[in-house]
Amino acid sequence: MSSSDMFGLIDRRTLLAMGGLAAAAAIIRPAAAADLYGPKAADAKSGGTLNMGLLVEPPGLDPFHQAADARIRLTVLIYQGLFYESPDGTAMPLLAEGFDLSSDRLVYTIRLRKGVKFHSGEAMTAKDVAYSYNYIRDAKNGSPGAGDFAMITAIEPTDELTVKITISAPNAALPMTLGNKYGGVVPAGYFEAADAKTKLNQASVGTGPFKLAEFKPNSNATLVRNADYWEPGVPYLDRINFVFVPNAASLLVGLRNKRIDIATLARPQDVKQVEGVAGLVVERKPSFNQKAIDLGAELKPLDDERVRRAISLAVDKDEIMRASIGGLGNVIGTMVAGMQESWGVPLDKLPNQKVDIAAARKLLAEAGHPDGFALTLTSIIGYDWMDAAAVTLREQLGKIGINLSIQRVELGVWVKNFQSKQMGFTFNDWATVPDPNLLFYRHFHKAPEGADFRNWKNDKASALLDEGRTENDPAKRREIYTRYQQVMAESVPTIMLFSADHMVVRNDKVRNYDQHPTGWYYGLARAWIA
Amino acid sequence: MAIYLAKRLAASAVTALLASLVVFLLVRSVPGDVVGQMLGQTSDPVAAKALREFFGLDQPIWRQYFGWLARVLTADFGTSWTRGQPVLGMIGAALAVTIQLAFATLFLATLIGVPLGILAAMHEGGAIDRTVQALNLLGLAAPVFWIGLMLLVGVSSGFDWSPPLMYVPPTQSLFENLSIMALPVLSLALLQAAAYSQFVRQSIISALGQDYVRTAIAKGVSTRVIFFKHLLRNIAIPLVTFMGLILIQILGGAVIIESLFALPGLGRLLLSSIETRDYPVLQAGLLAVVVIAMLVNLAVDLSYRIIDPRVRLS
Repeated sequence: MSSSDMFGLIDRRTLLAMGGLAAAAAIIRPAAAADLYGPKAADAKSGGTLNMGLLVEPPGLDPFHQAADARIRLTVLIYQGLFYESPDGTAMPLLAEGFDLSSDRLVYTIRLRKGVKFHSGEAMTAKDVAYSYNYIRDAKNGSPGAGDFAMITAIEPTDELTVKITISAPNAALPMTLGNKYGGVVPAGYFEAADAKTKLNQASVGTGPFKLAEFKPNSNATLVRNADYWEPGVPYLDRINFVFVPNAASLLVGLRNKRIDIATLARPQDVKQVEGVAGLVVERKPSFNQKAIDLGAELKPLDDERVRRAISLAVDKDEIMRASIGGLGNVIGTMVAGMQESWGVPLDKLPNQKVDIAAARKLLAEAGHPDGFALTLTSIIGYDWMDAAAVTLREQLGKIGINLSIQRVELGVWVKNFQSKQMGFTFNDWATVPDPNLLFYRHFHKAPEGADFRNWKNDKASALLDEGRTENDPAKRREIYTRYQQVMAESVPTIMLFSADHMVVRNDKVRNYDQHPTGWYYGLARAWIA
Repeated sequence: MAIYLAKRLAASAVTALLASLVVFLLVRSVPGDVVGQMLGQTSDPVAAKALREFFGLDQPIWRQYFGWLARVLTADFGTSWTRGQPVLGMIGAALAVTIQLAFATLFLATLIGVPLGILAAMHEGGAIDRTVQALNLLGLAAPVFWIGLMLLVGVSSGFDWSPPLMYVPPTQSLFENLSIMALPVLSLALLQAAAYSQFVRQSIISALGQDYVRTAIAKGVSTRVIFFKHLLRNIAIPLVTFMGLILIQILGGAVIIESLFALPGLGRLLLSSIETRDYPVLQAGLLAVVVIAMLVNLAVDLSYRIIDPRVRLS
């Protein structure tokens, strides 16, 4: 079933069009349950335990302070925000039922869903919503989501089931920001207890379809069905065991021998080892992930745009993708594969995408490097694709005289360099939620509004990002982001290489699992065991 | 004996104290911290500052150390920064798995290695000796991850079976526990058995050349008596020393096998704590390894006296 079929009841265009008319009063009708998380199954059988193998263990299960993707993948089943990041790019009402937008587009009046209960048994009210989002947006509370919520100036309950959110400037991405990446709605006052932050790893207080039953480090996290869940008839599974298996060989053996019912593979090419195995089904899904080369302008001569363009012209993305993930993905230009259709610019309409060694050499000569120069590439230990990609890249850049040495660093070291904007020339591996503002703004807008990790300091790009954020009209917004992508492709602060597909391997008794492009396990809220 | 024990324990306490300082400084010398790991690429300076304050990372390092030490001395190892669980409980649970792994490995390796070593020594230079030597070389040369992987893949292809991936303690189900532990124990034991066998063979061969053996032979004592009464007793002390070393090695370094077979042991806990910069777990875990190593050494030293009453502990 395609994503457009899945979300037939409210399609993206309708929602965006409604957003365009929002200056008067945007009202999103309540989402039918089938819209969320994937299609409900007509023939589903309730009950049973599903064992999902995870190669990367979540470092914790606290959605308010832990940014790791491995955490988000699981906790989206436990905690819920006001909106759901539908794969086609719309923010669909989740704990919200709909909203009205003021004529100046600065005040969102959000109506909340009735009959929602926390895992603790209390009913969810507007007070809880205001408390939770106020907690996240106050950077002093240490939430990684604080930056995304900086445009919010006030959140207050107006009655039992209505909350008013005021923002400092129009922001078309606000509903998507109120999604499920960070935080979620928890009971008001939850963090007043001294042990609240650590307790989230032992007992859940969300509103999601599953509750946390057990979290054993290096072993498993077990979720059980939330009997008081607000959507009728779902989820189907009684129990999910997330089993932490730290190496692919054991995971594949576990899948073959039915110790594991379902897993997504970190190295797409590993799928070859289970293809054709009786009782196993392999599915390939597009992703919002990007494997990229970042070019930090703090490192000379990467501060020279001509040098960055020359590097881009020497990079054969397809060759790197084939070498590093066996070709199981999509070469990209300036947009992740899962959003290409909605927001991307075709690669042939973007500059510096096609290999042109002569042009690259000419640019290097103009920049004062006719014989090339020595450059160090940083790759991260544990990211397998980077090892093969690094060797391939060295060959490619060697053709324009760049002598590439490869430095492998541990993730903690890499993150430290990244955060302190000293990333230099490095591989990167990151993902987004489906909105161009959330994809680009923080990473590429100049400081202080954005983090500008690559020291790009591009005024034109920043102006376009501001424009794109405030524009509500979908057609105009798309046009703005098209122009932005042209600037990015021309100036090359980053070289987006490819999006690796999600490779899902499941036992054929696991039904109706649809892998969300973010890589998060929303699909388990609709999966069942035959 | 009591005085010796008291002295050793006092010396161990001083060593543990020094080790705690080294461990404390060592874990902090690795670039990056838990806040960087938690906030990832989205890091907000204000949020980062707030979290650093929450974890006490904004304090001078000496204050952090003495604060931690004061709590440790009252048996308060704190709470894991990332998992939110009491550190002592986490270390205890992980240690239980690793101790089972270590002792089961030691038992199996002894069961395989000692008889093979004796057999080889008794047939020095013969076909049996050469075969055992070849097997020992193979066992010593093969990396443990390779042995583990081959066993896992071999058993899976041959019997359509693989060990359960969620650890179950023996108190919950002995059968399930044994089916989980069988392959990891065998993987480690094959390697250790080779080292054992080599060690025992060498010890016996050199003991065979000693005067007391020649005298016993001259007196017409039976080979069996010479072997079990004289030879084994004399090689018992180096053998126990060797066993102690193996035990420490497994307790402190079973991370590869634990990762391969998804065992929630101490090695894997330490590794994941390094990745997340979870200092309370890392410090307590490394300290546990140091203390265990000291206790094993102490136990080995005390066993000398039991094996040979002539040994004076001082």
